[in-house]
This record gives sequence, structure tokens and C-alpha cells, in this order.
Amino acid sequence: MDKIDEKPQLATVQFHLEMDHMNGRPEHEFVDERLVSPVELPELCSDLNGSQHYTFSDPEQQSNTRSLKISFCRSIKVVLFTSKINILMPCGPLAVLINYLTHNQGWAFFLSLLGIIPLAERLGFSTEQLSLFTGPTVGGLLNATFGNATELIISIHALKGGMTRVVQQTLLGSILSNMLLVLGCAFFCGGIVFMKEDKVFDKAAAMVNSGLLLMAVMGLLFPAVLHYTHSELHYGKSELALSRFSSCIMLLAYASYLVFQLQKQNDSYVRVNEERGQNEGSKNDYNEEAPEISKWEALIWLAILTTGISVLSDYLVDAIQGASVSWHIPVSFISVILLPIVGNAAEHASAIMFAMKDKLDLSLGVAIGSSTQIAMFGIPFCVVVGWIMGQPMDLNFHLFETASLLITVIVVAFMLQEGTANYFKGLMLILCYLIVAASFFVHIDPSYVGD
Amino acid sequence: MMRPADEKDDFAIELDTIAASSLPSTKMCSFEIPHNRYFPSVSYSWIHWRILKGLLKSIRVVIFSAKINILLPFGPLSILLHFVTRNHVLVFFFSLLGITPLAERLGYATEQLAAYTGHTVGGLLNATFGNATEMIIAIYALKHGMIRVVQQSLLGSILSNMLLVLGCAFFAGGIVHTEKDQSFNKAAAVVNSGLLLMAVMGLMFPAVLHFTRSEVHYGESELSLSRFSSCVMLVAYASYLVFQLKSHRNVYHRIEDEGQSEEFDEEEPPELSKWEAISWLAFLTLWISILSEYLVDAIEGASDALNLPIAFISVILLPIVGNAAEHASAIMFAMKDKLDITLGVAIGSSTQISMFVIPFTVVVGWLMGQHMDLNFQLFETATLFITVLVVAFMLQEGTANYFKGLMLILCYFIVAASFYVHTDPTQSKFYI
Repeated sequence: MDKIDEKPQLATVQFHLEMDHMNGRPEHEFVDERLVSPVELPELCSDLNGSQHYTFSDPEQQSNTRSLKISFCRSIKVVLFTSKINILMPCGPLAVLINYLTHNQGWAFFLSLLGIIPLAERLGFSTEQLSLFTGPTVGGLLNATFGNATELIISIHALKGGMTRVVQQTLLGSILSNMLLVLGCAFFCGGIVFMKEDKVFDKAAAMVNSGLLLMAVMGLLFPAVLHYTHSELHYGKSELALSRFSSCIMLLAYASYLVFQLQKQNDSYVRVNEERGQNEGSKNDYNEEAPEISKWEALIWLAILTTGISVLSDYLVDAIQGASVSWHIPVSFISVILLPIVGNAAEHASAIMFAMKDKLDLSLGVAIGSSTQIAMFGIPFCVVVGWIMGQPMDLNFHLFETASLLITVIVVAFMLQEGTANYFKGLMLILCYLIVAASFFVHIDPSYVGD
Repeated sequence: MMRPADEKDDFAIELDTIAASSLPSTKMCSFEIPHNRYFPSVSYSWIHWRILKGLLKSIRVVIFSAKINILLPFGPLSILLHFVTRNHVLVFFFSLLGITPLAERLGYATEQLAAYTGHTVGGLLNATFGNATEMIIAIYALKHGMIRVVQQSLLGSILSNMLLVLGCAFFAGGIVHTEKDQSFNKAAAVVNSGLLLMAVMGLMFPAVLHFTRSEVHYGESELSLSRFSSCVMLVAYASYLVFQLKSHRNVYHRIEDEGQSEEFDEEEPPELSKWEAISWLAFLTLWISILSEYLVDAIEGASDALNLPIAFISVILLPIVGNAAEHASAIMFAMKDKLDITLGVAIGSSTQISMFVIPFTVVVGWLMGQHMDLNFQLFETATLFITVLVVAFMLQEGTANYFKGLMLILCYFIVAASFYVHTDPTQSKFYI
């Protein structure tokens, strides 16, 4: 345990040095006793180029209105102005404007999509910050729920509008893009940077995730096959009941997965502390930078960003049909390919960055973990929400989509089982995604023409 | 133990067992068997009495020493009910309950016989009689022309072994040993997975040929294809036995040896003599056949009365009850950290049914003139395909923990729920 105690002090010292070097402002001491890895600090300082306010507001001082205003401004600065991606923020209000002024659905769709990207990224940021305050368990839980909050919000809006096919296709597209595109780009870039040898990642975690994905495919396969072999007891109703039951089972499996993972994480954390080894676990709460915003600020930002995303998704979902008509692209393609690519842009960037820094486990956590989360939590959750809303949302994703999910999961599970990565594997995954995208470009839903 | 038994002869074994029993009148350890020419009358009655004693002891060992045999009266009871009432549900359930202890005792008798015959023939015995119950039920259903019931009950047996039995074993073992993952012999598991995938291939082609309507002679081609594939699968299974028992024994026995030698240490000496084991084998098989007849007759009536699809009864209910004894033993071995034996019971049984029993019933149907083929219809084939994929994937790592077991059990629930709402297209007039 000695090394752990050393770390915060080390960080503080370095902090002082950096601070004195950059500007002569007084800084507060560490109130929080979280672990800070000294390795992260130089990156932290270089990432936030220019922002030097490391004042940590003591909770007692917030009663002072002046410091409240200061902390508010600082908070806005930290959240809104520190990330380059926030240049896209004005697209959001612009989209709302265009929706009311013109009837150009294409532009409304495109702009709201662009407007959601920074909000989604900042949502991930505030979730991370909040998880620093709550410890590994609740932090993991937070990540598990809010990790794909954007997709869930968009899906729930679509569900409310009765567009169950859009929901299914969006979630499917999110899984496909995470498994093929994000993972492929990460492997490719990581492989290009480290040409000499294959990179190794934690095979056990990848295997568990692949197993869960296969189980999700199983859950999706049965309603679809039942429907298409016309072998269900009550035509049209049985598969809905089966889907709802399977969704509950899948949610149960996901919950036990969380329990299992957190238990293993606790065990490995204790073991690593005893061995004084390098802790590069998939849940990287302990290697994070110091929290930049306080707990309440994080919660408030979480709420604000969720509201913003919610508002924009409304316009987004409304504009899908119009955009498909004006751009001459099938709705399937928009839902499966375009929506997730843009929605996942931030995760995409971070996964590539981690891979290039030789932190392949984090990349995998982002990519495959996200797929597992959507497959075993997002999809069943939408079915249950649909059940409550009275919408006939089921797990019958229709034969084409189910088949593409099946073959994709098999391919990815096979790629991951070796536990190594190189640029060629990444290239294969990216090319597979191009094939999938091309297939959906020429795919039209039979249900639109009349089943 | 095995070796001492080989050195003595049957006579002396009988003497020892009699001497070991607690009847006070048989305290004659050093008694020499009188020769016939000296005491003819005494020796005849002595022999009859000895046979009776042996029979009684045998009955006591086989029938009264296992707690599961409390279910034995259900067998005759179901036969009685069949003739007295028209209540198919009771007949179905009672015959099912009656078969369970018989199946377990059949396994026991096979084990005892295997102790006398050595590894090779013992393995062969286990391979053939291991799923004798399912085979007998299948052959009876075949005789009645209930092809779908045969296909679905065999499929259900594979599914329950791969998902439910294995899942419960992994889960129970993982709960007991939480510190680290249990490991098992990966090589054997991978070979079994390969065989299961080959079985899926054998089942998939007739089904896909039929449903894409791309066969040369509609309705006939798939039957001939099924028969040919069955012969191929039987050849594969035979070579698998040769591979396992003769040429690559070291691969299996490296880990199996420790397990088996421990087993021999813990096991009592064989409780039945060789001839007793064989006669019990025959007797139990006969009884199981009789009960299966009534079971198969009652399936349709039970399905109507209980309002359950026949598919559900054949795929889920029949195998769960039929496999109850294997189920319990697999869980017990997993909790004792003998995961290889568990895998042998669960996955070995699945492999046996898919690569031996199914092709065997096709061949038997060929001999009987029944239209039994490998076209298990699209839904069942898809179910088997995805299940084999999931299980092969889980096994390839060579480790087990409670979460894997839980995943397998939950997958089984999904499968069971699907069959609960599944009815055959031919019956629902949506025949493709």
C-alpha cells in the first residue's frame, strides 16, 4: 500500500511545480484524496491548453455568492470551452431554428445530428467526473447506464413516435458500428503506430463480452425465426410475449454481469495493491485526472445535457423520414449507418486515441463494452419501455438485420479470441463494416412496402 | 477392487459376499463347498438357497440402496391408470416419473459392468447405454410413426444437456469455488464441440435444402441425403470412439486418470457380479421399454389436456425429467471440483445423442420403413445451431465460473420460452 500513499503526494508536488511555472496564481490544496497517477498529469496539462484554473472549491465556500458565480463561470468554462468538439454546439439551436423557418427536413436532420455530438461527448465527460466522486462500484454502474445515454434517448423518442423499426435499426447500427468500425479503426491505428509486434489485450474480458453478445444474438434470433417460419402459437402475438420475457432475462443477465465484473474488479484491485503492480484495469477510475468539477456541478451538468440531447433528438427523429426522401437514401441506411456513426463520434475518437497510446484494454472497453451494453441492456430496456408505453416493440429485428448481427458477432468473437491485435485485423474489421454499410444502402424494409 | 476380483473366481466371490452379509446363519468363512458326490441332496438345496440369497442381496443393492427408487411404484401405477382411466396427463407424468429411477439404475448397472470389462469396453458400454433411455423412447415413438416427437425429444435432450445440465454444474461449482475459475481439459471439450458442429452441419443441409425448395426430387432427396449423412455420422462417431479409447488415450487420461483413480479409491468394490450386472441391464431395459410405450401413447393426450404445445413437452419436459439423474451427478461432481467428469456427463452425452443416437434412429427408421430424416425443420435447426455456437464458445477457454453457468441457464430459459410459443407449421396450416 505504500506506493498508493506516495502517489497523491507526488502528484501534489508536481502540481506545484507546474503551477508555479505557468503563472503565479495561488492554488488550493488537494481536498480530495483520490489517487492521481503522475503519468497522467503532463498529458492533463497539455490537453487543457491554456486553462489554468485548478481551484477546487470547498463545499463550505459555496454559500458565498461571489465564489458561487466564480465557480459557475469556471464550470461553464471547463465544460463548454475546453473541448474542441464544442465548436459544433451552435448547430443544435440552428437546427431548431431551421425546423421552424423552413421545411427542409434534410438540413434539420443533419444539423441536429451535428448538434448532438458535442452534447453526447460532454455527457460522457460529466459522467466520468461524477464517477470519480462515487467510487468504483457506483461509478461502474453509472458508466454502464449513461454510457450509451444518447442512443437510449434517441430510441425512446422514436418509440414514443411509434417508429419501432427506427429504434431497432438504430440500436443495431450502434452495435455494428461499435464492433466493426470503432474497433477496427482502433486496431488499425494502434497497429500502424506499433508496427513491430502485435498488441496484447485482456482476453478474458473480451471473451466474456463475446459470450454476452452471442447470448444477445440468441435472444434476437428466436423471435425472428419463429415469425419467419410461421411456427408460432398465436400469429403476431406470441413473439411479442416471447420478446418481453427474453428481455427480462437479458436484463437479468446484464445485472449479474455487472455484479460479476465489479466483484472481479475488487478482487483484482486488492491483488494489485498487494503486488504493487501497474493497475491498468478496464475501469480506469484510478488513473484519471483529478476531478475538474464538483459533485453537484457534475450532476447539474448531467441533467442539463440530458435535457439538451432530449430536445434535439425530438427534432432529429421527426426529420428522419423527410431527410430520407430528400436525400434519396433508404431509411434503413440512415438509421443503421449514419445515425450511429455520428452519434458515436466522440467514443470513436477516444477509442482510437487509447489504442495509439497502447492502452488497448481501454479501447476494447469503449468499443466492445459499448456493444455489449446496447445489446444486453439498451435493446431489452427499450422493449420493456415499449411494454410500459403500450408500443409493440419486440425483439424480432427481421431476418436481414438479425442475420447481419449474427455473422458480425461471429466474426468479431473470432477476431478477439486470440487476445492480440494488429493493423491487419483492424483493416479486416473496417472492410467488413464497409460491406455491411453497402448492404444496408440497398436494403429496403419489407414492412414499409406492406408485409 | 477390480484386480482382486480377476484373480478369484465367481464361486469364491459369492462365498465372500455371503460371508460379508450380516445374516448370522451364514457365518461359515472357512466352510468348504462340499462336492456333489459326497452330499448330493444337501448341495442342491444349498445351491438353491445360495441363489436365492444372491438374488435377494442383489435386489437389495440395486433397488433399495438408492433414494431415487422411491419413484419406482409410479411405473406400475401408470400402467394401471392407462387401463383404468382415460387421464392421459396422469399416465404421462407417472410413466415419466417411473422411468427416472429405472434410467438411473440402468446407469448404475452399466457402471458396475464397466468395472469388470476394463477401460475400452467400459467406455464403449457407456457410449452405447449412456443414453439408452432416450434411444428406447425414440424407437417407440418411431414405431408409432411420431417422427416429430422423435426429432424434438432428441433435440431437447441435446439442448438440456448442453445448456441446463452444464450451466447448473458450472454455476454450482463456481458458487462453491469462488476464489478462482475452475479449469477442465480443454482438448476434450474442443473435440466434442467440433463433433457437435459437425452434427449441426449434418442436420442443416436437409433442412435448408427443403426450405429453399432446391432439391432434385422434392420430398425424396432429403430422405436419401439424411440416410447417407447418418451413415457418415455413425462412421465419424465410431472413429471418435477409437480416437478416444485407443489411439489418443493419453490426451484424455492425463486428467481423467487422476479422476478415475480417485474414483476407484472412493468407490466400494463392485457391488454386483458380472452376470448379475448383465441380467439387471436386460431387466431394466425391458422395464423401460414397457413404460416408454405408455409414455409415448400419452403424449398427445397430455398436450391437449395441459394446453401445452407438443413441441414444448417433447423438447423441454421429457428431457428434463429423463435426464434428472445425470443432472444431479453432474452438479455433484462440479461441486467436488471434478469438472472433467461433469463435462464428460454433460457434453459427452450431447455428442453421443447428436452423433450416434440421431443417425441411429434414422437408420432404424430406414429399416422399419418410416420416413425419419434429418430435416428437423427450420426453427429447431436454427435453435441447435445457435446453441452449439454459444456452448462451443463458452467451452473453448477451458475455464468455468459461476457467471458462465448463469449465462447458460438463462439461455436455456430463453430456449424453453421459445418452444412454449412454438407450434409446428404443418399443424397450424401455415406449411411452407
